Amino acid sequence: MSAQKKKAFQIEAFKHRVVVDPKYAEKTWKILEHAIHEIYNHNASGLSFEELYRNAYNMVLHKFGEKLYSGLVTTMTSHLKEISNSIEAAQGGLFLDELNRKWAEHNKALQMIRDILMYMDRTFIPNTHKTPVHELGLNLWRDVVIHSHAIQSRLQAILLENVRRERSGEVIDRGLMRSITKMLMDLGPSVYQDDFEKHFLEVSADFYRLESQEFIESCDCGEYLKKAERRLNEEIERVSHYLDTRSEVKITNVVETEMIESHMHRLVHMENSGLINMIVDEKFEDLGRMYCLFRRVSNGLVLIRDVMTSFIRDTGKQLLTDPERLKDPVDFVQHLLDLKDKYDKIITSAFRNDKTFQNALNSSFEYFINLNSRSPEFISLFVDDKLRKGLRGVTEEDVELVLDKVMMLFRYLQEKDVFEKYYKQHLAKRLLSGKSVSDDAERSLIVKLKTECGYQFTSKLEGMFTDMKTSQDTMQGFHASHGSDIGDGPMLSVQVLTTGSWPTQPITTCNLPAEILGICEKFRNYYLGTHTGRRLSWQTNMGTADLKATFGKGQKHELNVSTYQMCVLMLFNDADRLSYKEIEQVTEIPTSDLKRCLQSLACVKGKNVLRKEPMSKDIADTDTFLFNDKYTSKFFKVKIGTVAAQRESEPENQETRQRVEEDRKPQIEAAIVRIMKARRVLDHNNIVAEVTKQLQSRFLPNPVVIKKRIESLIEREFLERDKGDRKLYRYLA
Amino acid sequence: MGIQNDIVKFNVGGRIFQTTATTLANAGRDSFFGALFDDNWDLQQPINGREFFIDRNPDCFAVLLDLLRTGDLYIPSNVPERLLYKEAMFYGLIGHVRSAKRGPFDGNRLKLSKSVTGRAPGDGTAIRAGPDGGCCVAHGSMVHVFDWMLEEHPPLNLDYQRVNDIGWVNAESVLISACERLGRGDGGMGLFSSYTGDLRYKFNVVHDNQIKSYTAGALCFSPDYKIFASCKGRSNEYGIGVWDQFTGKQIDFFYETPGWSLGEADKLQWLNGTTCLLVATLFPRKDNCYISLLDFRQKSTVWSWSDIGAPLTVDEKRVRDAIAMEDCNSVCVVNEYEDLGFIDLRISAGSVRWSSRSRLMKGKMPDEPCYPKLALHNGQLFSSMNDSISVFCGPDWVLTSRLRRSYGGSICDFSIGGDRLFALHSEDNVFDIWETPPTPVI
Repeated sequence: MSAQKKKAFQIEAFKHRVVVDPKYAEKTWKILEHAIHEIYNHNASGLSFEELYRNAYNMVLHKFGEKLYSGLVTTMTSHLKEISNSIEAAQGGLFLDELNRKWAEHNKALQMIRDILMYMDRTFIPNTHKTPVHELGLNLWRDVVIHSHAIQSRLQAILLENVRRERSGEVIDRGLMRSITKMLMDLGPSVYQDDFEKHFLEVSADFYRLESQEFIESCDCGEYLKKAERRLNEEIERVSHYLDTRSEVKITNVVETEMIESHMHRLVHMENSGLINMIVDEKFEDLGRMYCLFRRVSNGLVLIRDVMTSFIRDTGKQLLTDPERLKDPVDFVQHLLDLKDKYDKIITSAFRNDKTFQNALNSSFEYFINLNSRSPEFISLFVDDKLRKGLRGVTEEDVELVLDKVMMLFRYLQEKDVFEKYYKQHLAKRLLSGKSVSDDAERSLIVKLKTECGYQFTSKLEGMFTDMKTSQDTMQGFHASHGSDIGDGPMLSVQVLTTGSWPTQPITTCNLPAEILGICEKFRNYYLGTHTGRRLSWQTNMGTADLKATFGKGQKHELNVSTYQMCVLMLFNDADRLSYKEIEQVTEIPTSDLKRCLQSLACVKGKNVLRKEPMSKDIADTDTFLFNDKYTSKFFKVKIGTVAAQRESEPENQETRQRVEEDRKPQIEAAIVRIMKARRVLDHNNIVAEVTKQLQSRFLPNPVVIKKRIESLIEREFLERDKGDRKLYRYLA
Repeated sequence: MGIQNDIVKFNVGGRIFQTTATTLANAGRDSFFGALFDDNWDLQQPINGREFFIDRNPDCFAVLLDLLRTGDLYIPSNVPERLLYKEAMFYGLIGHVRSAKRGPFDGNRLKLSKSVTGRAPGDGTAIRAGPDGGCCVAHGSMVHVFDWMLEEHPPLNLDYQRVNDIGWVNAESVLISACERLGRGDGGMGLFSSYTGDLRYKFNVVHDNQIKSYTAGALCFSPDYKIFASCKGRSNEYGIGVWDQFTGKQIDFFYETPGWSLGEADKLQWLNGTTCLLVATLFPRKDNCYISLLDFRQKSTVWSWSDIGAPLTVDEKRVRDAIAMEDCNSVCVVNEYEDLGFIDLRISAGSVRWSSRSRLMKGKMPDEPCYPKLALHNGQLFSSMNDSISVFCGPDWVLTSRLRRSYGGSICDFSIGGDRLFALHSEDNVFDIWETPPTPVI
């Protein structure tokens, strides 16, 4: 057409007008449209990029951007419709393959189209706020292909079926699944969520609801947990293989809810295999698994903890109320320690050292240890046993270990002052009899108590050690100055104990044999000569003596006896036969002590240096005692122990408790005064609360006792009741 | 594109160029050359050494090829700048050209790169640098928009009302705040396309479900896509309004309390560290100066300062502009003698610690009106006074540079952004562009 015109006019200027051909835009677009067809038909090799780029550039430059853009939308849409039809036509298993192949092709085509239309993408599209080419291509794919009615539901069904098959153990093409889900994600998070994830989660919930029901009927707890764990890991693995990483939380949530949360009570309480059985049988692996799984659901750990706590409390309670167990304090405490060790091990190895579990364990122990008021005594006895013999030949670290464990039990005690009382008694016995295994261990424990309870708690215990040391020095001084005077007479070793630091004993004197009396007098003079203003009294009930005795046939033995026993035996230097009454009269030893000491001298086999008439186990007032001339022993040294009650008898126990109660009174009063001095005015309940708080590191004061102390303080005019409000107290200074 | 065939021959508009595919790879995938060499397109070119034809200007191609080779832009005098930019747009290399034209912004290395004269009557109101090197300038009721090539785009106006402030929401949108027109509901705030000049949204102030007409003052944006503006309404709608950038809907309003000023604020500044808004109303808009820090979450004023009741000294010092410097926990202020002062942000109702440079300056004060302004950029403090801009650096804010030009009169506003400093002069309707030159050869 233009050639014709050219001929007719032959005007040079006309040539230029050809450029502004009214059909220019249409023609150029045809070229580009053709190129897009060729690209989709895999015929791009014949296309010149430079030419196409230039054409698209020119269209935009000459203000035909709108035409170019709308043409692109139309062309691409029609191609995608074709693609959609061919995917729909794909049979059965080929569907996903076809979809995936077409998606890859579309992506490649889209990239090439974008290359051609790059100039439009950079200038025209932002200026007119249109959708960029790449995004447009994805949107059209989504709307025309994925959301076409025939494809949408089929795609969903196939994806879910594949997941189901994989869950039941079949092998599926994960690579293909990965490509398809990636496509959905590329199309935007909402496409992935609405077209796949939502349904996937629903189907999974149904699946696991059924499966867990089946498992719980047929498996024991450990087995069930193993299966649940495996399912959980499978799902996590599935996500990593072909799902969006953000799906992990959601799908694990489904598994957790269906497999764990809805069955957790049943699992924990399952007969013969639940939590309690795992604890009893020390199934650390199962416990650990339970912890890890239950941790994932809300209240899961709380449930485990509560069941464990109530079980520990029950076990502890049984242990503490079992009269058999209470017979042997050392064994009893050892049981407590073993119990603690067991749970510590469970918590470290199965419960990942969970702080809340540790706290629960501690509070349980605190709860049941204080159920028995004799616990402080028993713990002290346990220490006593360990420090007397239990720790002989044990390395320093092991000693520390045992002591640390004891301290741990000590921490649980509410009545720490009762423990202190007993500990003082037991320590005194150990020190005076020289039975302590290791001075270091003793001091180490004192240091531990000091860090736990403060200086006040241990000052008296430390005083006892100081006394022992000074006594040594005193004795050295005494021997140095009087050594020559004593000559062949009996050796004397005296321990000077400060009153107050040591457990108070009623002073029960006895008549010492004349041989001893002399040297005792010398010591008294020496001591009072070096220290003025002091008073010495003899605690004969606590001493020991070594005697040299010659029996029939010239057999010689060295007898290690208590002071009382020595007094008795010395009588037999002058007589072969003495009646009980005679002995009692001469020695003036208190009846119960004398009976005990005679029993040990005459009734214990192998140590019966005296003979009793008549022969019987118990000592009666009418008995007569004879020197046992026929006594033999294969040892040269014979230790004749006193038949001593290790555990306190009931009346003694009562007495100790009473003493403790007495000791608490001033402490409670001091606390009340301290608080009132600071607060001036306070009501009753608050005083009780504060006093309890101040004193709980030592003991738990009884509110009734506090009330009594307040009344006593009011009587003594430290406090007064408020005139208006009877519940208020005022401090009077 | 094997290693052997690395050499590429082009015939550009009749001139032969030889280069390597490696050099062209510097253009990036998102460019003409990136697409050309992509495996999708079978490049049927290097058969028997024939060249690849491109129907473009060879002189510009030479400049752009050198840009890809060296990273430097050298425009010979025979190549018009505009033509080069068009060619760069064709090849998709405009980003390369832009970043090669200037170095990273440094207040002490700035050079005057260009002055642009406009056709607007009267004094300039404000100039704002855009995020990619363009700017917009407000004169009276008109706003002129320039892109980074300093090509002018269609001008903007909001019902032809007097413009109070302008701002770039992003590279594509400019926000205008203007005076209201009585009884017509015109004015207020509008968001415009920077390319086409189309109005995209108008922002309403709503009180008790009623749309009110208002005068919008200073503008400010926060990184969480909020717009803040000081608003002065008909009755009691005084305060700071907050809108969503995407929906254009009002989402919050901070009412002015009696005895304080928010609605007529001269300056708003969003503080990223404390997520508070600095609001400053200054002399001479009001008789006194009010600076406060607002916390919108609790609707509370977390810090404030005012010169009410402060004794007036002989050499009267009134705060003319203020800028918060979060790193130094202080607000920097400036007076009409270009003295800098600092107020501690940690103590409420503290006093201004003036650094007194004005004694040196006093003799030389010109009679024309002056507009002291402050700006902070990358740890450098800029202050404009009369016809020059001073640059301060270091912890003690030492004066390190002074930018001045011979004509144009006082600088009424300036703005830094897109690695450029724009200074608007009040007379002759001219604005200057200051740039940092590219890094030296060695």
